[in-house]
Amino acid sequence: MTLLEIKKLSKTFGDLEVLRDINISVEKGEVVVVIGPSGSGKSTMLRCINLLEQPTGGEILYQTQNVIKLGRQVAEYRRHVGMVFQKFNLFPLKTVVENVMYAPIKLNKISNKEAKEQAMALLCKVGMESKAEAHPASLSGGQQQRVAIARALAMQPEMLLFDEPTSALDPELVGDVLEVMKQLAAEGMTMVVVTHEMGFAKDVADRVIFMDGGYIVEEDTPEKIFTNPKNDRTRAFLARIL
Amino acid sequence: MEFNFARAFEKLGPSLLNGIGTVVYVTILGFLFAFIFAMILAVGTLSKNKLLVWILGVFIEIIRGTPLLVQFFYIYYVVPLLLNAIAGLFGLNTNIQLEAITCGVMGFAINYGCYMTEVIRSAIVSIDLGQREAGLALGFTEKQVLFRFIIPPALRNSIPVFGNYLVMMIKDTSLLSMITVQELLLRTKTFASQTFLTVEAYTILALVYLVISLPLSQLCKILERKLRKV
Repeated sequence: MTLLEIKKLSKTFGDLEVLRDINISVEKGEVVVVIGPSGSGKSTMLRCINLLEQPTGGEILYQTQNVIKLGRQVAEYRRHVGMVFQKFNLFPLKTVVENVMYAPIKLNKISNKEAKEQAMALLCKVGMESKAEAHPASLSGGQQQRVAIARALAMQPEMLLFDEPTSALDPELVGDVLEVMKQLAAEGMTMVVVTHEMGFAKDVADRVIFMDGGYIVEEDTPEKIFTNPKNDRTRAFLARIL
Repeated sequence: MEFNFARAFEKLGPSLLNGIGTVVYVTILGFLFAFIFAMILAVGTLSKNKLLVWILGVFIEIIRGTPLLVQFFYIYYVVPLLLNAIAGLFGLNTNIQLEAITCGVMGFAINYGCYMTEVIRSAIVSIDLGQREAGLALGFTEKQVLFRFIIPPALRNSIPVFGNYLVMMIKDTSLLSMITVQELLLRTKTFASQTFLTVEAYTILALVYLVISLPLSQLCKILERKLRKV
């Protein structure tokens, strides 16, 4: 089943064309990893999916509904599509468990008790249950990011977007976050991941998309992209990064 | 020259105690309304409506560009005349008068409101954009994000500045003596002119202000330090 279909998506900032003719479709349960040099438009593309950036043209069909024209219902749509940010963006005044509980209580109107049970279960899942009462500032980047993943999961989204989730982390902390993401993938979560972690792309992705200059240059299984890329630009990029 | 502080204190003390009541009353109401007014103005100045932003900007500049004392005079002496004139246009013969203490509260609300608008506005702007995006991505609306994730930490960060404004307002209540409010300065002035205990009276007055404002300033400093920790 196709969960998300992006057709002819374009985005300009003033005169700058950031995205051109982007076409992607994501099946339910699929893990799509987007790679490419910085400035290639990968993050903007990801942010267009949940409309943190308003696309300039094209269509984004979520379960066949075009979400670009949703207007006020966009908030409702975003509840189905979780997002994990490069800089975590946890709420600094709330404790870890409050960060995870808050949206379900306010938006899904579930009870405090139920939200807390759910939040603790999610924190266990990401290995952060022991820090439930801590404040984000006292956690390492890797721990904050795992809490951020739990927070996104708390809304029970059908799809998760990851915007370079490990780029702001110290190298030794990257592993824990990737481990959580691998586990999610194994459980069948639909994921679109923008990352520079080629190991993760190789191991976990069902499909890898290579973007450059606002275009999708190449799209294939990880085996083919990493062992036998068709496009010269993909080859040059991979040669530099691997 | 001989000073008689004991006598001055004995006679002036009870009167000043009543005056403190007035100061506290005006300050609490004035600050409360100033805060509400500032919140409305701050959210207004962040609106996408350019005309609204312009109008609010002009208003704030007018208030910040004129002395507080002049504003008290304007509200106390001029506004009632204007109201009567406007009523006259509709064929009504009115004699509207505003109580001095009410004018004091209004003046503080408007004047301090405009200054505090800038505090709140810049605190809101300084909140990391990531907070907004995190809220939106979870499914909150723009308005919910503003009131749940942006304004609360912004206000929290502004508490020490608000505290300083509160101390300033307490001291500025002395200006109300000019529009006949029986606060501390006017009571002291009356006492001094009747008893000629000028040095004693005004020294006591200054000390009373210090006794009120010093602990509050210290409290602000402690709060500032505590808030910085988290």
